[in-house]
Amino acid sequence: MDSTTSPQQENDAGGLQVHCFTDVVDELTLHFQIIRLPKQIYAWIGCNSSKMGHLYAAAHTRPSEGVSVSCVLGGSSDNPGAGIARRIVLKSGLNVILASNIPKNSPMIEANAERKMMEKLVQLGYTRPRSEPSSFMINPTAGEIHR
Amino acid sequence: MGSVEQHFPVPHRSFSVEIKGNKTDVVISGYNDHILVIATQIGTMGTMLQARKEEGMTSEPTFHVSVIFGKRDEPMLTACARQLIEHMSSSGSARPLVLSLGLKDHSMETLKGVVSYVLENRIW
Repeated sequence: MDSTTSPQQENDAGGLQVHCFTDVVDELTLHFQIIRLPKQIYAWIGCNSSKMGHLYAAAHTRPSEGVSVSCVLGGSSDNPGAGIARRIVLKSGLNVILASNIPKNSPMIEANAERKMMEKLVQLGYTRPRSEPSSFMINPTAGEIHR
Repeated sequence: MGSVEQHFPVPHRSFSVEIKGNKTDVVISGYNDHILVIATQIGTMGTMLQARKEEGMTSEPTFHVSVIFGKRDEPMLTACARQLIEHMSSSGSARPLVLSLGLKDHSMETLKGVVSYVLENRIW
């Protein structure tokens, strides 16, 4: 099956939905790739490069309401990817495998990338609808986003 | 079979095949520093392995394969990753492989099928 190409590529050929798009935020180029599996989401965020970066797995861990994140390949719990993966699970309710090469100590890049990713996930219908907006506070020192 | 996407900086190929009667979705992505192969029959990424070529003292290349997420006691999955990294290396690619296998069975026939279809649609 042939796939179509466009600036915002959405390849539905062959079963899995693969969505690729690029955005420029604050003169930074962010690349996004989202692969929708029936019970999971794989996502990649590239910051000014096409390196895969570090890989994280995140999911709800029952019976608690919390989300656990595991560094699968490289990285550590204080890397941006770990935080983004955790918050995507919280907002989407899906299991997430996230690859990201966003550098450490870049809270604004992290926040912008996460926002763009969530916008796309909502647009694609992969997330639960939010009944009311939440307020976010960014801690620039730790690079954490608090609800 | 799917065509290679090249406008986006990460080329990828996505397709679906039947292996031993099971629908198998495959996505191959070519990052700058890794090749990612996802082959799933169960709707999730399943067990994830990393395979890379190691520069050794001898002229023959050596490869390191390890499970980085999931089942660690399935030697056929490791063998599948090993086959793929050897093929990648022999075709000149130096990039490590991240292989994700979510399969209903780990028989030799299934894994040979996965290797065959991935090589048929390789992007390295």
